[in-house]
Amino acid sequence: MALTLAQRLSFRRFTRGEIVKQHVALNHRRIFILPNKAGLSLALVILLMLIASINYNNSLGFVFTFLLAAAAQASTFYSYKNLSGLHISLAKSVPCFAGEQASININVSEKNQRTRWQISAKHLKQQQSFNLAAAEQAILCLTTPVKTRGWYQPETITFSCSFPFGIFRVWSPLRFQHAILVYPQPIDSGLTIQAAADDRVGKGQSASASGTDDFAGLKPYQAGQSYRHINWKALAAEKGLYSNVFSSEQSSDIHLDWQSCSDLTVENKISQLCFWVLSCEEKGQSYGLRLPGVELAPNKGRKHQADCLERLALYEC
Amino acid sequence: MNANSANIQPSLIKLLLAIAGLLVIPHIGQLKPLFIGLAFALIGWRGLSIYRPKLLPNKWILLPLALLLGFIVMKNFGMAFGRDASSSLLIILMGLKLLESRNQRDVQAVIYMCFFVLITPFLFDQRIELALYGLLVFFALLFALIINNSQSDSLKNIALLRICGSVLLQAIPLMLVFFLLFPRMIGPLWSMPDEQSAVSGLSDQINPGSVSNLALSAETAFRVRFRSSAPTQKELYWRGPVFWETDGQRWVLRPPRKASFQRAINWPKKTSDYQYTLMMEPHKQFWLYALDSPSSAPDKVRLSADRQLLLTAKLSRNLSFELRSSLSNHLTQLNEEDRQRGLKIPQNTNPKVLVLAEKWRSISAKPRHIVRQALQYYNREFYYTLTPPSLGSDPIAEFLFETKRGFCGHFATSFATLMRAAGIPARLIGGYQGGVYNQLGDFYTIRQADAHVWVEVWLDEEGWVRVDPTAAIAPNRIEHSIDASLQRLNGEINFILNPPDGIRRWAQQLNWVLHSVDYYWQNAVLAYGPEKQHEFLAGFGIIDWRDMITWLSILSATLIGLSMAVFFILQRPSIDPVQQSYLKLCKKLAKKSSRRFSYETSSDYFSRIQPYYPEKEPQLTTLNRLYLASRYGTTAAAEFIEAVAKLKL
Repeated sequence: MALTLAQRLSFRRFTRGEIVKQHVALNHRRIFILPNKAGLSLALVILLMLIASINYNNSLGFVFTFLLAAAAQASTFYSYKNLSGLHISLAKSVPCFAGEQASININVSEKNQRTRWQISAKHLKQQQSFNLAAAEQAILCLTTPVKTRGWYQPETITFSCSFPFGIFRVWSPLRFQHAILVYPQPIDSGLTIQAAADDRVGKGQSASASGTDDFAGLKPYQAGQSYRHINWKALAAEKGLYSNVFSSEQSSDIHLDWQSCSDLTVENKISQLCFWVLSCEEKGQSYGLRLPGVELAPNKGRKHQADCLERLALYEC
Repeated sequence: MNANSANIQPSLIKLLLAIAGLLVIPHIGQLKPLFIGLAFALIGWRGLSIYRPKLLPNKWILLPLALLLGFIVMKNFGMAFGRDASSSLLIILMGLKLLESRNQRDVQAVIYMCFFVLITPFLFDQRIELALYGLLVFFALLFALIINNSQSDSLKNIALLRICGSVLLQAIPLMLVFFLLFPRMIGPLWSMPDEQSAVSGLSDQINPGSVSNLALSAETAFRVRFRSSAPTQKELYWRGPVFWETDGQRWVLRPPRKASFQRAINWPKKTSDYQYTLMMEPHKQFWLYALDSPSSAPDKVRLSADRQLLLTAKLSRNLSFELRSSLSNHLTQLNEEDRQRGLKIPQNTNPKVLVLAEKWRSISAKPRHIVRQALQYYNREFYYTLTPPSLGSDPIAEFLFETKRGFCGHFATSFATLMRAAGIPARLIGGYQGGVYNQLGDFYTIRQADAHVWVEVWLDEEGWVRVDPTAAIAPNRIEHSIDASLQRLNGEINFILNPPDGIRRWAQQLNWVLHSVDYYWQNAVLAYGPEKQHEFLAGFGIIDWRDMITWLSILSATLIGLSMAVFFILQRPSIDPVQQSYLKLCKKLAKKSSRRFSYETSSDYFSRIQPYYPEKEPQLTTLNRLYLASRYGTTAAAEFIEAVAKLKL
């Protein structure tokens, strides 16, 4: 896509970078170069050498001063070469909980048959340096703390290096159009799950909240069920995979209800519901989720948990 | 992984220590041994601490140490901070910084210092060998920079070495542009303390023995290239300072007065004049040497009445001059003041000298006859030797009547004194005689071994006439140069006589080659100062510094642009060979059928165009199989390429 002149000269393009859809190969349009601090000190050294050469009118002094300056100039090509042609894409990111570290996974691959030295990827304050051998691939994992639930849009990720002489920094700022899902922070505000509070569910569940762990029998194991319910004795006896069934599970479908934590603020409600979702899944109970405008039928398993958490993460009232 | 806190690889430290050692070596003999020793001690200390990390000093040791060493430098040089002091300080600071360096940033700083130290030996000596040595160290320094910034744990990395080499090669054109066009300024930016370093050559004082210690030196004094033909060897008298005053022991040079420059006249140009380029080595004196006698002075050089060529400041760098000399004598007037100066003899002159002079004058009063008699006297009784007996408080009389053995200094000083005693105005001339011709480069090298002293006497009908008493005793000295390489302190004086043969001939030719290289080095590189730059660039119409800056910008921008263009052309992504031949095949097939759509797989495409090539079915099937095998398997790449090449439609 062509850039207008204003876009081309925009300062943001040099600091924050252009938007990247999915995948990018670094080229001269995205790579910038400027001397860094060490480069400015080298310039000072060259200036001092020049003054000494002028003062003594020393031909060889001039030769080596200019040679150093010219070598510094020539090194810019190799700095550029070290970064250009890298293929960068975002790898699938795993959702995380608010208050934890989100990890941005980046896939970097070398396809130009040359070794890349000391490239660093930086997101906010997180930085990682790596070497990449010819035709090699690497997955970088940059973590960043996330505070709020919802979609987290990573900031600019800057790839940079100062190879070969450490005097020029070449950098390429990338803004990936890719957000990471952040689940609410699970907080237990001390409420108990009011499973029977709602009459829409019907009778039969009322008695079941107690006696959660009463063993009720075996059922063939189904993929997605928690490992901790596997009946290991049966497995050891080579009878096959069975899971333990507890009385509470059998008997009740819990509805995690927005209404049941009415005393809390919105965010705390969501956090409480999140906590319940996690604990129910842990125990292997079936649970449904009921938010204003959202209704998920009772179920269990990873996919169901993820659905519930996503609804909670993206819930807006 | 913060790069700045990373530890330094031991291999990098070893490389740096080696470079630091290489940087101190050229200073041996130039700086005081104390500082050389200190620098090596610091480097050695850092070297030991690679194996025993406990030896690495902390800042409570380093700071007092740095202050102490700084104090030592200050105490040795005072506040006059010139070449010696700054070089000494730099090599010590380099050692201290090495001791202090623990992380990547420190190493970067050490390398920067090393670059500065790299140019300090050139303030003392700019020989071509030293320049090549410097280039080697420069390469090592660039490599150290690369190692430091790639964090490579091994120095044996061909890829990094190649990068280092190509950076250096790419840097050379830009360096040349800057070297040629960067405006050079005359004179120092600030005055430097006068550095006392031993420069061999004639000084502003001559005593009888002063020239003989030069006779062993093969160092070059200056070089000369004649525009057309050159005079014969025995006419090559290179005239330098003119001495008028003596106290009986030594002859002292007095700077000529202003009136002397006003009285000097340029002789008219004649076709018999010799034109030549004189390339002076920095001899730290005011005078130039010219073929006897210079007929005019070049720019920025003054001609005195006694025909000395004098600079306005001591020559401290290589410079070349275009000169013109005439061998024939020009009749001039001797004013009364000069006659008095030319006849003055010290009060304490030994009466025996006066008696000898009076005896010659009584035989014939004609100056020409007196001179001839004196020369005959020398020829009869004197010996030419490089190791004459030492002389006491009355050197002239002791030499003339007792020892009778001497070098050119003895003959010339005594001869001048005798002439003055006999009433003939005489003056002593310092300079060089002869020179070694380099056939390869067509130039003469005049060495310190060619240093010579002779006399000029005033003859009324002829003017100042050169008389060389040494020639009367040892005609070989004038016709051939002294062979400094064969000279032994107590042996006979050896002259370069007939052309050598056999191995010596090869050695001589090799010598010519080396001297020619050195000549061009001196002439093109070292002498490229403000004057030479002006002269060179004026040939291109570049006259003042504004033009230079303009052209410097244009040329360097062009060079950088060119190298960028070459770089991006080389950078174009290369498709792998299988894909290349696949695309070629598709293009070939498309001629008779239709083009492959970008979303089409090879199987789809081949089956779609199958009807166009009914007789090629088996080949196309094989090609498709091979292509898929090479793309999705690991084999068949070569086979596929071969099959494509074989396919004829």
